[in-house]
Amino acid sequence: MRRFFRLYKTFVVQYFKQLMEYRIDFLTGALSFLINQLTNILFISIIFDNIPALSGFSRYEIYFIYGFSLLPKGLDHLLTDNLWKIAYFIVRKGDFDKYLTRPINPLLHVIMELFQFDALGEFVTGIVLLTYASIKLDIYFGPVQILVLLLAIIIGTLIFTSIKILFAALALWIKRSGSILQIFYMSSDFARYPVTIYSKPVKFIITYIIPFGFTAYYPSTYFIRGNSPLFALGIGGLAAAILFIVSITVWNRGLSAYESAGS
Amino acid sequence: MSKRLQKNKFLKTYGAFTRAGVMDAVAYKMNFICFFIGEIFYCFVMYFIWKAVFESSGSGTFMSFSMTDMVVYLFLSNITMFFTDTDSTYAIGEEIKDGSIVMRLIKPIQVDLSYLFYELGNKSLVMSTVFFPVIIGVEIYKYNVAGHIAFDIGKFLLFMLSIILSYLLAFYLNLVFGYMAFFLMNLWGLNILKGSIIKFFSGAIIPLAFFPEIVTKIFSLMPFASLSYTPVMIYMGKYTGKDLLFAMGLQVFWLVAFFFISKVVWKWAQKRILVQGG
Repeated sequence: MRRFFRLYKTFVVQYFKQLMEYRIDFLTGALSFLINQLTNILFISIIFDNIPALSGFSRYEIYFIYGFSLLPKGLDHLLTDNLWKIAYFIVRKGDFDKYLTRPINPLLHVIMELFQFDALGEFVTGIVLLTYASIKLDIYFGPVQILVLLLAIIIGTLIFTSIKILFAALALWIKRSGSILQIFYMSSDFARYPVTIYSKPVKFIITYIIPFGFTAYYPSTYFIRGNSPLFALGIGGLAAAILFIVSITVWNRGLSAYESAGS
Repeated sequence: MSKRLQKNKFLKTYGAFTRAGVMDAVAYKMNFICFFIGEIFYCFVMYFIWKAVFESSGSGTFMSFSMTDMVVYLFLSNITMFFTDTDSTYAIGEEIKDGSIVMRLIKPIQVDLSYLFYELGNKSLVMSTVFFPVIIGVEIYKYNVAGHIAFDIGKFLLFMLSIILSYLLAFYLNLVFGYMAFFLMNLWGLNILKGSIIKFFSGAIIPLAFFPEIVTKIFSLMPFASLSYTPVMIYMGKYTGKDLLFAMGLQVFWLVAFFFISKVVWKWAQKRILVQGG
């Protein structure tokens, strides 16, 4: 474990060096994710200029849920973005072999290799929006609330990461799974708004099948509605743990089934 | 050389790119199907949000749009975006970065036309496999709500014409974006940026009519509105007479403008290609 952190530090330091080299690229990346989020927030704001509440949720409550959804998403984006490359090109080009020849767990190596600063665009928007909504809604943040918030973010991040590992692992068999991953990742869009606006089947799917509901809506209800956090943390934590175990199992199976595509 | 021969030669040269485009599209059909499903997902998220908005607003209409209008708008504008979106930005950027663009430069062809004809192959598949089915779906939905067929062939033909203009404009606009690869390495970020700018200003997220009047006016003059808003409004019958002529005239104007901008940027960029080419 200590070796892991030492290695990770080395990788991150390398990334900072790159960042300094390609400052404009970092700015483009972060700015693009920021603007992407801003347009969606503007959309919410225009809707609320015309209606007082959306299915019983006020403007700031929706901002809260939306802002919350960006935290696990942004954190996962920051840490594990390389999984996209696995799914899209690395396996197909035959470059995956290198991870198997190093004295380190291949999955950890894949994750450590990229530290995606672009994600700050999402993450910072999320924090600003969450703070703004919390002030407007007069939400009190004591030690318990902060603990719930942190746990919920960890659970949410784990859900995102597990989904990515699971579908990136498919590439170990079929060489290219990026677009399949894309579909499942995009279904997290459903989680940015209250789960209650969706029809029953959609609600069921994003709660129990692809549990993105736990990345924003369920934990948010603790803060904005005073609901018990047990469902969000308990069932959400369980869902995240199961998903994580499944994805690791599939990944390991994939590793043993892997045949290089290299020429 | 006679004119006829010249035309044959043109078709022979660029037809090869179109064939390659069709073959690539077939080879990567999984990719394409998945992106399409992703778009449909997005449409459904938006559908539920708008449904909640209409239910919460208490009245049957929201800013002069009925729920039926909204559903038609949503699916049409997204399928239009899907159709007019081009991969050329990314393709050109990658070729500039790895230097393989020289393979196009050493051939006696126009670089932009080679990309365009390549994409025509891909687009003809999109047209037949998803575009028309979605249009038919929208018409069936309208029939279910209204109880009678409200399909207007004249409007449809104008819509098709407008969509072709949209596509060509999108192509040249993306080409200009693609040439940015000479200055930036982060093409992925640039693509996301371009995507969100286009989605927002073209009205794919919120119909431009929902903005304050002055903002609507400014936005509809910008090139982005010509990318999907104009054809969709024509299809929905919201543009008629003078408005229609003006909107389509604007499409032509932006197409010509971006055609020339892309030529100028290309000429200037070509001088820099020596630095990057591998």
